[in-house]
Amino acid sequence: MNLFRSEEHLGRWLGSRAPGATISVTELCELAHAWWGNRLDPNWRPRSREQNQAILNDLGLTDAFWNLSANSTTPNLA
Amino acid sequence: MRYRWVMDNEDVALRNVTYRQFVDLGHAPTVHDIAAATGATPDAVWSGWQRLHDEHALVLQSHTREIRMANPFSAVPTAYRVSADDRWWYANCAWDAFGVCAALHVDGRIETSCADCGEPLTVHVRDERPDDEGLLFHCVVPAVRWWDDIVFT
Repeated sequence: MNLFRSEEHLGRWLGSRAPGATISVTELCELAHAWWGNRLDPNWRPRSREQNQAILNDLGLTDAFWNLSANSTTPNLA
Repeated sequence: MRYRWVMDNEDVALRNVTYRQFVDLGHAPTVHDIAAATGATPDAVWSGWQRLHDEHALVLQSHTREIRMANPFSAVPTAYRVSADDRWWYANCAWDAFGVCAALHVDGRIETSCADCGEPLTVHVRDERPDDEGLLFHCVVPAVRWWDDIVFT
């Protein structure tokens, strides 16, 4: 999970690697606030996978790359 | 098979006091710090941390009785430094770097480098927005596999 100056830098870094998912740093910042904003709440409770998926979906991260659930039996509390 | 929720209230409370101590101390607490704060024995704290690790609520070091990650905070130095709330923090990745500001509910400054060229990158977060909107974030590992190896992810 890295930052890059531009598409050119990302493309060079990827080289022959299979690409994952790319979003703007603005989208990343929105995602981080939605995902981590409750981390220090005194009444924090773990989120379900469905709740985590809803955060991703609400930000438009809806393709298969962002799917938390496929055949997994463990939580994704990240 | 569906995931069965197993984190009980006692473990949630342990997790919450551990996170609070991390922020209050500015670094990861030890089992002894949490034992002193809660009245539990160090062994009981360690057992609880192991359960939280299994639940992905903490990440422990593999060979010592120490915390590696209390996401988004890193207990060890990384390439993602965040100045926020009058302290420097380490984050586990670019996502977590913004997460430090989010968790603390403060503005901040992220210092890292372009993964390609190594040039320093500094991003200020103000009112939950970055000041350089031209940068890109890339994630290699699909979401369903993030916890296969969270340190690599």
